[in-house]
Amino acid sequence: MNHELHIKYFGQIAEITGKSFEIISVDAISIAQLVNHLTEFYPGLRDQEFKVAVDHQIKDRASQITQDAEIALLPPFAGG
Amino acid sequence: MNKPKNVFIQGPISPGFIADSIAKHQTKTSIGAHNIFLGQVRADTIQDKTVRSIIYSAYEEMANKAFHAIRERIFAQYAITCMHIYHSLGHVKAGEICLFVFVSAPHRKVVLEALEALVEAIKAEVPVFGKELFDNETHQWKVNQ
Repeated sequence: MNHELHIKYFGQIAEITGKSFEIISVDAISIAQLVNHLTEFYPGLRDQEFKVAVDHQIKDRASQITQDAEIALLPPFAGG
Repeated sequence: MNKPKNVFIQGPISPGFIADSIAKHQTKTSIGAHNIFLGQVRADTIQDKTVRSIIYSAYEEMANKAFHAIRERIFAQYAITCMHIYHSLGHVKAGEICLFVFVSAPHRKVVLEALEALVEAIKAEVPVFGKELFDNETHQWKVNQ
């Protein structure tokens, strides 16, 4: 089944993708599969450390992505 | 449960804002101890380049939720009377304040412990990003230690 995912990019990740937001359609997948998919489009992501949030919660790479989820690729935090 | 508040302020946090915030607590006379943490932008020098300013950005919806969750957790763990958190977004120059955290309680011990736990949680759990601008027009991305 095809999922429409809203993906947000931040900080140095957004510099690599050249955008802060996009919508992609993919088959039902895990976060690890999504990261592989994105890395093919944006090879620069390979060298980057980032966490993935699904609907504002950080999830591990084995988690499944639910339909219409908001995904965010988050580089290391620098608050304060 | 309180709703998530907006913690973010555009640009630096002024010393006057901090002073006003202290003054507002003078009517709360059950308080006997305040503890304040101020984060200031540091002019780090890296390979002959000096940081002039930081441009802060955030995943705001998630960040405000994270601030809210931290708030609730600290209130549950420590017997504090009140807590205020402000963080800058946008351009903050070296020497200016980018984080203002303020906790108050009847006695000192609890505010000393609560403030440290609060600042550590903010640094670790809130999706805020900092682009450090150097004096030669280049930049790097800040990472919390």
